[in-house]
Amino acid sequence: TSVEHTLCHSHTVGEPEQHVFGLWEETRAPEDLHYLSWEVRANDRRFHQRQQRRSFLCFEWGKYADNAVRSYKYTPLTFLPLSLYEQFQRIANVYFLLMVILQCVPAISTLPWYTTMLPLLTVLSVRGLKDLADDLVRPRPDFPLHRSFTSVRWRDVCVGDVLRLRKDQIVPADLLLLRTSEPHSLCYVETSDIDGETNLKFRQALGITHHELSSEPVEPTLLAFDACVWCEQPNSRLHSFKGVLEWKGVRHLLDTDHILLRGTVLRNTDIAYGLTLYTGADSKILQNCGRLSVKTTQMERILNRVVIGVRKIVLLLLMVSLLLAVGAGIFEAQVAPRFEVLSALGAGRSPAYKAFLTFWGYVILLSPAMPMSLYISFEVVHMIHSLFIGWDLDLYDAGSNTPAQAHSTALNEELGQVGYLLSDKTGTLTENRLLFRQCCIAGVLYGLSQRHTDTRTTQHTPLDLSWNPFSRGGLQFSDQRLVDKLRDQDSTEVREFFTVLALCHTVMAEWKDGTPVYQAASPDEEALVGAAREMGWVFLSRTRDSLTLSELSHIRHYQLLALLDFTSQRRRMSVVVRDPEGVLKLYCKGADIVILERLRQDCLYAQGCLRTLCVAVRSVSEELWEEWSRALAKAAMMTQCGAVLDTLYDSMERELTLLGVTAIEDRLQEGVPETIATLKQAGIKVWVLTGDKRETAVNIGYACRLLDPDTQLLQGEELRSSSLLKVTEKRRKHSTSALVITGPELVQYIPNYFSTILQRHWPCTNTRSNNQAFGEQPGWDGRFMALSKLCQSVLCCRMTPGQKAGVVQLVRKHTSSITMAIGDGANDVNMIKMLSCSTFCTKQVPLLWCMSGLRSTMASVHRSESQACESDLSTQIWAS
Amino acid sequence: MASGYSAKEEDGHHSGALGPAGGAAVRSRKPDNTAFKQQRLPAWQPILTAGTVLPAFFIIGLLFIPIGIGLYVTSNNIRELQIDYTGTESSSPCFACSQNYSWNMTTPCVCSVSFSLDQPFESNVFMYYGLSNFYQNHRRYVKSRDDSQLNGNLNSLKEPSKECEPYRTNDGKPIAPCGAIANSLFNDTLALYYNDPNGTETQIQLVKRGIAWWTDKHVKFRNPVGDDSNLTAIFQGTAKPVNWQKPVYELDSDPENNGFINEDLIVWMRTAALPTFRKLYRIIEKNSSTSPTLPRGNYTLKITYNYPVRSFEGRKRMILSTISWMGGKNPFLGIAYITVGSICFFLGVVLLIIHHKYGSRSSSADLTH
Repeated sequence: TSVEHTLCHSHTVGEPEQHVFGLWEETRAPEDLHYLSWEVRANDRRFHQRQQRRSFLCFEWGKYADNAVRSYKYTPLTFLPLSLYEQFQRIANVYFLLMVILQCVPAISTLPWYTTMLPLLTVLSVRGLKDLADDLVRPRPDFPLHRSFTSVRWRDVCVGDVLRLRKDQIVPADLLLLRTSEPHSLCYVETSDIDGETNLKFRQALGITHHELSSEPVEPTLLAFDACVWCEQPNSRLHSFKGVLEWKGVRHLLDTDHILLRGTVLRNTDIAYGLTLYTGADSKILQNCGRLSVKTTQMERILNRVVIGVRKIVLLLLMVSLLLAVGAGIFEAQVAPRFEVLSALGAGRSPAYKAFLTFWGYVILLSPAMPMSLYISFEVVHMIHSLFIGWDLDLYDAGSNTPAQAHSTALNEELGQVGYLLSDKTGTLTENRLLFRQCCIAGVLYGLSQRHTDTRTTQHTPLDLSWNPFSRGGLQFSDQRLVDKLRDQDSTEVREFFTVLALCHTVMAEWKDGTPVYQAASPDEEALVGAAREMGWVFLSRTRDSLTLSELSHIRHYQLLALLDFTSQRRRMSVVVRDPEGVLKLYCKGADIVILERLRQDCLYAQGCLRTLCVAVRSVSEELWEEWSRALAKAAMMTQCGAVLDTLYDSMERELTLLGVTAIEDRLQEGVPETIATLKQAGIKVWVLTGDKRETAVNIGYACRLLDPDTQLLQGEELRSSSLLKVTEKRRKHSTSALVITGPELVQYIPNYFSTILQRHWPCTNTRSNNQAFGEQPGWDGRFMALSKLCQSVLCCRMTPGQKAGVVQLVRKHTSSITMAIGDGANDVNMIKMLSCSTFCTKQVPLLWCMSGLRSTMASVHRSESQACESDLSTQIWAS
Repeated sequence: MASGYSAKEEDGHHSGALGPAGGAAVRSRKPDNTAFKQQRLPAWQPILTAGTVLPAFFIIGLLFIPIGIGLYVTSNNIRELQIDYTGTESSSPCFACSQNYSWNMTTPCVCSVSFSLDQPFESNVFMYYGLSNFYQNHRRYVKSRDDSQLNGNLNSLKEPSKECEPYRTNDGKPIAPCGAIANSLFNDTLALYYNDPNGTETQIQLVKRGIAWWTDKHVKFRNPVGDDSNLTAIFQGTAKPVNWQKPVYELDSDPENNGFINEDLIVWMRTAALPTFRKLYRIIEKNSSTSPTLPRGNYTLKITYNYPVRSFEGRKRMILSTISWMGGKNPFLGIAYITVGSICFFLGVVLLIIHHKYGSRSSSADLTH
């Protein structure tokens, strides 16, 4: 039916449906297939194991990698060569090896061979043992799961296996989704470890596999599944996949939507079945991580430069040796012949030859001028530093019983040299525990004004919610007026307001102890539905086409006609429901600027550093609905339905009536304002990168003392002023200033910069148009950095994870100081990875710094070394 | 002046409160609150202020200048006399001998140099020979010896180390002691005579024992021990160094000062670091408490001139010197002390003036006079 269609479309907004390609065979020429050379035969272990990749030392053969997680670098066989190879990448070690070799030449050896050999061996063994010890403690996750419905471990997964995944399991390899327990074989995955986006994503199995494999009993059917998949060779493109499924003589086109990537987490889906396509090193996420490289700190590089660099110790040493050798030559030519004994000792060699030998002799003799022991001292100091970090009481989190943990011992001293601190806001500065604080319904403001009161000190009397059997507590809202109005049954606006909150969402309800617990893709949705629950508008359950509410204990069923999904471009979501009385309504919930013009001015909660969402309603007539749903069904049949759907949605979400505004508070972490103030005193530039809107970001900035009341705020337009000189001059007059810039502005001004990153990591985002519109703007990035250097702090709002990474790269490119990024590991992984990713760390050291053992498992599985600071611990290190 | 670390206070409330309600034995991973782990050990960090630096300068100055003066005076009280007897000038008494620079002279050439002492030399007098322009520090020269042979190893005696080349064998026989150092042993003989005003010439007793280091004499250098106690028999089958006039077992008649443990040889084998050096030759011991060891008057130095230095323009000297508690004559240490002390004192005064003039601006610096 059309309703069903609409539903499944709205879940996969903008993505082509599989049945569009039902007759794909006829429409595509077969030569398109030539690059699909990766063959996967379902349930054919023998075929794949014959081509299993094996390795001996550094030689590898075979096609299919196994799925063993190798987060360790060494095996007993490879330890010695690999370790030596890494050691001799340090030039000092090479130098000393040369010295040892020189000393083995009898004609020039001035000292016994072991005088340099022993220190060198000591250095090598100390380093090697330390690396080995580091490697041994690296976590090696290996989780049990079910393959062919017998329990196996990750490493036993082989290409072609059909796996069964349960809810909240981590996907062990790149899988082709075959079917799930959900309708339409939908499934939800969390990809935060891959792209840092926390919201759940939909994946859907092919229609053919969904239908054919659903027959009971499921598992024998799946075991008999004998399709063959042809797809691309393993590659690192996370957001693209091309392949065909060949089954029963019919070919079905596959794309990213059918793929569960390794490292994603299955959510809100009880059981999913998948066919393993890429395992282990072939999987997209592992193809994406760089190799573990030898990490060097700034200090070590300075040392290397001093020791090896031009005009430094080595050159001095060679010069001195040369001078001495020339002197020796002159002595041998002029003085020595007159001594009977000396000329006899010379054994008739020419003075030039003797001088040559003397030169090398002096090179050996003077080689202790190289501070070799300094390298060992550094190692020991680093080790002791990290021990002390682990021992620090101030860095211990009592709540999770975790002390600080220095994951990369080599970079400790960098912490003291940080010049730029790039911080995430949500979850790092704030707790990311959203609380419903205020609402404004029909122009009446409910809830205390939080503008000038500290939330922690305010004594609020909790509402008496004992009348509500579904209440779970935890509501930080105290305005009895609202409850009274709700229960008086006379204020329709208030009642409708909460109806919207209870209806317009994508939350799933779970029952615990007789009350519903909500699982939501985003915390603010959860906060809103939770608030509605506390106020008596309890969302009980949802089916595909209905929602059940308990409105002050009256159970009401709403027919869900359409769900207009939330996307970051639309920044709103709507539902079209038919209420029990048969009235069609469109309920819409979205960012205030989307519905802004209907707001009363005093309802701008963004000033109170609260997150605001507007709630609006529209009555829909039956004719309009009929027409619109037909259009929607038609649009869904088209190939490029994304854009069409958007315009369709737009046409529906019009003529809204504002019901009210909700305000959610994201509390600051403990000690954040003090820490930021201290950091500012220390002269560290603090940048906050957030996805929030400008007003919220600025208010958070004031709240955490990043901005002072007398700080002058600079806008992105400052960049546009004709010359930077003018800007600089302007700045000098003001002692403190802060730059507030938004992500779109950054993309606008520095497109060449951000677009490349975006294209690399988010190829789906189209920034080409920006590029063309503004053209190449050489020097804009430099100008931006020059401007930001004049400011004490920079607030970047409306940033996508990709833009965060871009900012990190920008800062690192334009400053020589050490940059540190702090995030809570979900949406900041990219930003932090940018610091550690080996392809980017040509100029500056990544600050590999993980403060806790709570970093995401995947990060370690993937060797990404992305050292996400666990949020509250990171604030503690600030405070110390 | 000293700054310690502020003690971190334990926030006591969480120790009992944390942990799951189940009460299972969850091991607390809380770091120990010990002085070491929390870096609360007593620490002292000096902070340099005028109050600390100025006194330090004055103390150093006032301490070093007297020490320097003492050292300088002591050094100046040491008597030292140098006689150059190389004989390069035709007027010098050893001119004839110096022209004759063959190593293998059968008849020794003897020359005598007269000199007078203006002041008497008290207590023990040390007699040195000095050589100039002689590169005993040459790298291959220094290595050209066999320590194990000199230590009395019989195998090394017959089969000296390769380092000794080309002074390793002579006519197929191993050289004892081998090497360039031993080969170039200083072999002038010096004798000292006191010319009494009444015309008689008395030879002054020169002690040849006790001029080498004890460890060299007793540990590093040893004669090889064979079945026969006779040195001549033990050294049978070895050759003497090419430039030597007599073999090593005939260096001295005293068996305790013969062979490898001859002290002149031991002193020579300890090579000098600079081309101009002096080595202890003999000791003139004080014989009575009343009369000086070397009274004022005229002396004659009789030299058996064997050692040729003309080829490399070397000089040969005889040095007589007394010693004090600080060793031989060396004014440098005293001068150095005086200089450093003066500089410190001067800097102290300058800094004091600066501090007095401009120091009121600094709040922390306080100087007590």
